[in-house]
Order: sequence, then structure tokens, then C-alpha cells
Amino acid sequence: MAGETSDRSDTFARPFGLPKWVIAVLPILLLAVLVGGFLVTSPLAGLASGGEPLPAVSIDYTTIPTGDQIRLHVTNNGPPVTIAQVQVDEAIWNFDITSPGRDAHLARGESATITIPYHWTPGWDYHISILTAGGVSFGTTIVAAQQTPAMTAQVIWTLGYVGFLVGVIPVALGMLWFPYLQSMRREHLHAVLAFSAGILGFLVFDAGFEAFEVAESVPSTYLGPLLVVLGILGAMLLLQAAMESRTGDEPSPLALAYAAALGIGLHNFAEGLAIGSAFALGRASLGAFLVVGFMIHNVTEGPVLVAPLAEGERPSLGHFVAIGALAGAPAIVGGWIGNLTQSPTLAALFLAIGVGALLQVVFDIGALVHRRGSIQRVPNLLAFGVGLVVMYATDLLIVL
Amino acid sequence: MPSMRADEAATLTDQLQTSLTEAIEGHEGVTRRAVLGGLAMAGGSALAGVGAADEDHGESEHGHFGATGAYDGSRFDPFGYLREFNTGAESGSRAAIGGRSDGLNAGVYEEDGRTVREFDVTAIDLDLEILPGITMPLWTYNGQVPGPTLRAEEGDLIRVNFVNGSRKHAHTIHPHLRNLNPRMDGIPQNGPGVLDPGESFTYEWIAQPAGTHLYHCHSLPLKAHIHRGLYGVIVVDPDPERVRENPREYLDYHGPITEAVRERAVRAAKSRNMISYPDFVPEGYDGIDEQVMVMNGFDTNFDGSNEVYAANTRGFCYAPAESDGKGDWESGPTRHPIQVDRADLVRIHLVQATEFDFVNSFHTHSQFFDYYDAGTSLFPNRSTIDTVLLCQAQRGVLEMDYRDHEPGLYMFHAHQSEFAELGWMSFFEVS
Repeated sequence: MAGETSDRSDTFARPFGLPKWVIAVLPILLLAVLVGGFLVTSPLAGLASGGEPLPAVSIDYTTIPTGDQIRLHVTNNGPPVTIAQVQVDEAIWNFDITSPGRDAHLARGESATITIPYHWTPGWDYHISILTAGGVSFGTTIVAAQQTPAMTAQVIWTLGYVGFLVGVIPVALGMLWFPYLQSMRREHLHAVLAFSAGILGFLVFDAGFEAFEVAESVPSTYLGPLLVVLGILGAMLLLQAAMESRTGDEPSPLALAYAAALGIGLHNFAEGLAIGSAFALGRASLGAFLVVGFMIHNVTEGPVLVAPLAEGERPSLGHFVAIGALAGAPAIVGGWIGNLTQSPTLAALFLAIGVGALLQVVFDIGALVHRRGSIQRVPNLLAFGVGLVVMYATDLLIVL
Repeated sequence: MPSMRADEAATLTDQLQTSLTEAIEGHEGVTRRAVLGGLAMAGGSALAGVGAADEDHGESEHGHFGATGAYDGSRFDPFGYLREFNTGAESGSRAAIGGRSDGLNAGVYEEDGRTVREFDVTAIDLDLEILPGITMPLWTYNGQVPGPTLRAEEGDLIRVNFVNGSRKHAHTIHPHLRNLNPRMDGIPQNGPGVLDPGESFTYEWIAQPAGTHLYHCHSLPLKAHIHRGLYGVIVVDPDPERVRENPREYLDYHGPITEAVRERAVRAAKSRNMISYPDFVPEGYDGIDEQVMVMNGFDTNFDGSNEVYAANTRGFCYAPAESDGKGDWESGPTRHPIQVDRADLVRIHLVQATEFDFVNSFHTHSQFFDYYDAGTSLFPNRSTIDTVLLCQAQRGVLEMDYRDHEPGLYMFHAHQSEFAELGWMSFFEVS
């Protein structure tokens, strides 16, 4: 028997008598040979209809840096193309183009910035078309043109202040429920945790839908919706793996709180992006009402952060500050970045990562409650539902 | 008519395509180099506009409409086309196609007491530039859009040996003349009907009435065949002796025909007749500057409206290549104003060949002109106007002079602002 076993392991060690690594790379080598042969012999020539891939240029977003300029941010999602002319409101207009290749010829996947000297009028719509060398046109409409605020100290301060108000303050206020949570009976605390899961669960859908909506504006070359899927699953798996490696089987309450803070932080970052880009697009009607809306919306996030910590020993104050900062401060950073770039790719990606993190936390909280009681108890289920409803209600306050 | 077998037709088509393509220099289409060069120029102007905001040079902050870059292809020269009239007399080179020779003018001779002017016209598919950097697959007569301008004297026989060298499409030539033989009308329902690729037919038309006329392909779908470039101009010069005998036929005038009226009409006929009276100059002028302008448009993206408008195909080609919007401008090699001498009578043969839009128009800045509808009257139908509106296929003769004007730039353009801003914007530089 022992002999047989060793024979077999020898066979596995040198299949076909070849070193293992040869076998490992063999399929790849064969694939390379096949691809090469396919490209050389072009067996699909019989299918060729003389058709060429169609040009596909997307105008990802527009900015208006000065009173005399309109700027288009474009990506070539199709075969190589040359941007030959630009029309503004059905008039051929002069333009300048900057691209990695320093010319108007865009390779597949190449992005470029087209700057059009144009004395635009605030509040007016502008229809802009770019024409390729083959005469194909791609257009966009700037609705109610507003100047894009530059990143001045004033803007940085304003966005920082708004981010602080909608991110840090409500989270901190919400965390003040901690002593009260500590005094609660375990069943009630579980209900609060279920309520938190409801809040986060709602945010998953809230941000998830938005991520897929934004994904439609992502240049098709980046496969927007799949990028979002990747962002969601990737973030979820990464966070899960991080928590597993830190805490083994059962996540410690503190790790769970940090994970929740990260998820909420990413969500608030995405909120910041939205605020910043709304500001950049000149839609900064961030009146008191909207700021108040965000505050009420986000104050519910505070107890979510501290609920896992209510049982057992109270962590040091530093942890609370760190958790609060992790959850709230990204709203500030998001505002700044959102003001710098309106890139839908970036927005979709951050939204997706946030969704992934939130999903992971929802599952963790569910598991926690389940282990210590039962998630299916009526008060827990009701609390989960109430969390959803509260989020829906406060979401109504912040429709941008 | 000679009808060929399919393989012969294909061979002929190939030969025609090859010979024409070889005859065409600079067969590069749009190159990256050209776009680069163009952008270098345009970038400069854009920066000037942008820089103005920062550095307060007092230059325009508004940017300006107009094409970016220069034309590259040399297949068609709108400046050569402008003043090229083909009478059938052999000529080595033609300015409209960059000085190349294509055998268009096939001879002038007498036949049965008539002067015959013979032309060899070939329909050919070709990519031509309509804006700097933008080419469009066009269907052309002899590799140019508009097709070659034919000129004959009233009563001559115009004989056109037409070969359809297109690879795919059936074409015809339909003349806007008083053509008395229905077989020669160039429509699908008459005579040879449409001519398939490789087929040929000899059209014969009597040059009448005197005036400025249009010819175009009448294959279906008509919109496509016209819009893709199959149109051109026929100028029929009036015979002063016929005018002397029957002045009423040449005048939109209902008063008595006095001797003075008769003499005025004869003088006008001589002024119009470039073939028999090439040296006749109306009193008060040094010469006559005759120009052909075809107002056309191009739908590059199949949306049923034109992306580019022009006089003579190339948008903005008769406008300064550069302008800072503050009164300074520069000519470019492929885009510059039309040079006009103050001492000349300027006569424009204007033809409206724009598809998709109902009308097009011609408006002169600081200038009023006399207008002769279809050029069939020797006295103006409308005097002292600065804008004329033309429907499709409508054409006319415009006469003006810049004797009293100071030298400099004088604009003319479609007064549909949209057309002007999409390319139909031109200038005379008077000196």
C-alpha cells in the first residue's frame, strides 16, 4: 500500500514525466499559439462584410471653468478616431484638445479634454457636438449652464464645513446614544442592532441603485455596470477577509464597529461626492433644508456604530473618536473630490465599494444577533423594518 | 445605347476608378499629420481667446465660430472651380481638380450647321473634404463636387459622353435646359433610363435658353443622389445677334422696345457672352470677373439634416483661416477670401443645390446687387438688393461692383445664420 501511494504521488509529481511547472503553463502556451495562429490566418475573413467597427465616443461630463470656456471630457470607447471639428448650438466652433497622445487622434480607450472658447450665458442650455473625421457626431447638452467653482480656499472651506455638518456632526450625535444603549436589556439591544441593520440595508439599495444609475454614464469601455458589481463584491470580500484574519471565527464587537464605520464612511464619502459635484455643476442649492435633511438622515448612523459595543466592556474613548471620524469625515473628502472631478467612473466605483462594505456589515450584524439570540424574533424583525422606513423617510429630505 | 456585359462593366469600372485615383494626387485622405498641423494653428487661436481672459490683451474672449485647421486633400480646389468654365475646347489642365487633366473637354466642332461642344463626363465615387479634417464619401462627376461647369453659346449642341464609373450605383445626368428630346432628359422613365455601373450614354442637349442652369443626377433616391454631390452648372451665353432680332425673348420688360432698349439688351448679351465676346467689357469697368458658386450642404451622420453648409463644398474655404475676432485676420493656403479687383464687374452664377432644407440664401455685406433669375433675362428682375432667397434648383446671376468701396474684406453668406455658422460664410478681399 505504501509503495502504491508513493507511486501515485510520483505520477502526480511528474505528469507525463514532465516537470509540474511545464504542465502548469502548457494550456497558456497552447492558447497563445492558437491566438497567434488565429490572428495570422484570419479564418473569419469569410464572415467579413466589409463593415468596420463603428466609432463610439462618449462625452463623460462637461465642466465650465471660466466665463469664456466650456470643457468636454471625452473617452473613445470604439476604434481609433480623430476629433475633427466641434459644433456649439449648430455652429462650427474652434477648440483645443488635450489628450495623452497630444493630438486629436484618440486610440481605443483614450480620453481627452476638449476646451472650447465660448462666451456662454449662465442659465442657458448649450448643445455641443463633436464631429469625427468621418463626419459622425456625438452630442451632449449642458442644461442651464453654471460656472464650475474652482478649488479656491473658499470652496474648500465651504465644502469642508458642509461635509462636517452632514457627516461628522450627526454621526457624533448619534453615538451619544451609547450610554443609553449600554443600559438596555439584551433583547432590546438586539432590536437596536436589527434596527441598525435595517438602516444599513436600506442604504445598500439606496446607494446600489444610484451606483447602477451612474454606471450608465460610465464610458462603455469600462463596462460600468460590471465595474459596480466588481466594486460591491470586491469590497464585501475584502472587508470580510480583513475581519476574518483579525478576529478568527466570531468578529469582535470592536471590529464590527470599525467595519460599520468603514461602510458608513464610504457611504458618506459617496454622499460627499454627490454634494461636491452638485456644487461643481452649479447646482449648489445646498440650502439649509438640504443640510438639515442630511443631518437627520445621518444621525441614525451613529447608534449603528456603537450598538455592537454596548454589550461587554466599553472600549477606550480614542476608539469612539476614531470610529466617528472614519464614518463621518469621508463626507468632507468626498465633497472635495466630487468638486474636482465629475467623473462618473469614479463616482460609480466609490458608490459600489460603499455598497459592498455596507452589505458585509449588514450580514455581520445579522450573524451577531443570530448567535446571541434570534434574528427572527418579532421585535428584531420589526426593528429591522423600522430601520428601513426611517431611512426611506429621511431620504425624502435629501433628494438632490 | 451600348449596354455591356457585367464583367466588361466591372472591368471598365475598375479601370476608371484606378485611372482617376491615380490622377488624383495626395491620395491620403485625412492624415493625422494634417489634423495635427491644423490643430497647431487652431490651438494657437483658441489659446489667444483663452489667454485674453487672463492677460487682458483686449482680444476677443468669445471664441469664434469657424472651422479648426486646414484642408488637406488636393482632389478638389474650390478656388480653381470658382472661375473655371469648360467650353469643350481642349485644355491640358483644369484648375477645379488641382491642375490635373481629365479629358473633360473633348472638342468643339461644327456639325449640321451647329457648333457642337463635346464633353467626357464620368461618375465616380470619391471621398472629399467638406470641412478641415472631415471627409465624406461622395458621388461625383469627374471627381469633383460640384461637377465641372460647362459653358456653351445659345443654340450650340452640348454632347456629353457619360460613363457611369461608380462601383455600385446607377446614375444619370438631367439638364435644366429647354430640352426638346425626351430621350435626353436623364430620368429613369425616359431614353436609356438609369445607367448601371459601367454603362455609358451620350446625352445631347441644345444650349437654350441663355442663362445659368443646373444639371444633376436623377436616379432614385433623388435626395441621396443629389446630396452626395451629383450636380453642376451649365452656363449658356446669349447670342447678341439673336437678342438684337428678338429682344423681347430676353427681357423681363414690358415697355416699348426702343432702339435704346434694343442696344442696351445687345450690350448686356455681349457682356454675358464669354465665348464669342471674351474681350467685351461694359463701360466703366476694366474687366468682368465671373464666378460660379453652388450653395450645398452635407449630412455626414444620416440624421436628415446638414452638418456642413458651403458655397462650393468646402465649409469656410472662402473665409480667413485665422481671425482674432478683433479685426485682425490671416489667410491660409486652403482657406482665404476671394480676391476681387475694384475695377471689375463681379458676376456670380449662383446655384442652389442644398438638400434637406427648403431654402438657402445669398447675402452681401455693404453691397447691393442686381439679380437675374436663372440668368434668362438680360435686364435685372430685381435691382439693388442685398439678399436673395433661392429654393432648390433655383439659380440666378448676380452682378455687383466694388468701385466705390474701400479695399478690404467684404463678407457674404447665407442669411440663414445656422447655415453661415456651419460653413456657408465667405469673403471678398477687395483690392
